[in-house]
Amino acid sequence: MNRSAVIDLLYRLADDALIIGHRDSEWTGLAPILEEDIAFSSMAQDEMGHALMYYQLLHELGEPEPDTLAFNRRARDFKCCGLVCLPNKRDWAFCTVRKFLFDAAESVRLAALSESAYAPLAQLARKLRSEKKYHLMHDRAWVVKLGESTEDGRQRMQKALDFAYPHALGMFEPTESDEPLAQAGICPRERELCSQWASAVAPVLKKAGLRVNENARPVYGGRVGRHPEALAELLESMQMVYQIDPSANW
Amino acid sequence: MTDSQWPVFEVFHQQVRGEPHIHVGSVHAPDAEMALVVAKEQYARRQACVNLWVVPAEAIYASNYEDADMFEHVTDKSYRESWGYKTPKTISRHEGTKARRHEGEDQASGDAIRQQATGNSQREEAT
Repeated sequence: MNRSAVIDLLYRLADDALIIGHRDSEWTGLAPILEEDIAFSSMAQDEMGHALMYYQLLHELGEPEPDTLAFNRRARDFKCCGLVCLPNKRDWAFCTVRKFLFDAAESVRLAALSESAYAPLAQLARKLRSEKKYHLMHDRAWVVKLGESTEDGRQRMQKALDFAYPHALGMFEPTESDEPLAQAGICPRERELCSQWASAVAPVLKKAGLRVNENARPVYGGRVGRHPEALAELLESMQMVYQIDPSANW
Repeated sequence: MTDSQWPVFEVFHQQVRGEPHIHVGSVHAPDAEMALVVAKEQYARRQACVNLWVVPAEAIYASNYEDADMFEHVTDKSYRESWGYKTPKTISRHEGTKARRHEGEDQASGDAIRQQATGNSQREEAT
């Protein structure tokens, strides 16, 4: 097993889940309607749970404790993609589109990882897939409804998609781990996952009356620790309490 | 948060396949698909659930509580009660037709069964 490549992959998975979980939790109390507020918050919690499980796998490979990984690292130590870092700006269209693009990518990835040669990851992926299934069902419904709603609705969704798509392509930023992971049968190459993902999201976006910009240039950097300023701000807010006394017992 | 102008859907959940769907509450939603999506997190977050129904509240035609007296039993109707027909659910489920035949026999030995039934703390429905 290529240990460092597996560790790199697990950090990407864990950090993506943690940061989108935190971003989505920022809607708690603010989502458009009460029922959706509960559903959205619940899914944000799910993501935190997924992050914890990935961090536990990392810990089993000799990395620090999950709490340390989540609350005691700086932005440059994170390997999440740029898409999950972007601020919500109280823009429901953007957050709905982002969540859909992200969950669709996770679904594709988890399906592949269910067959992973690294058994602990394969086992975990199979477990997480069922929860993802609902996430995607939820996102699809919202994206299609908002896209089909009114001209104003469609335009807002189109604008959100145009903005989000290049960052979404960044979810599949190639890394040095690609080849060793693919050759060991642990995880397919990012470009392969990306094309599977693009085929998965296309029909939904089409149904919603939205156009994908085929010439979108991917925004990379997240997988090597280069992040938008928004991540540092997010971490400051998320880690504040922990940092007061890292040795405290929770 | 202001109340939405969306219609109300009543939510029914089923904890185990084959069990009845139980009414658990309601949600506001623009349509049935969305009602199901939000109902899942409202009502299946903590309890076991294998199936959810959402039904437009306006599809339900109900009696009035003012008319509740029409359900009262004025004369002795104990002969209609089902407690003499108790058969363990599992048996009825697995042996559908046989179980129904037994019920006929149960009726014949009503007294013995009735004693058993009253001593039995588990409430089981007749099928």
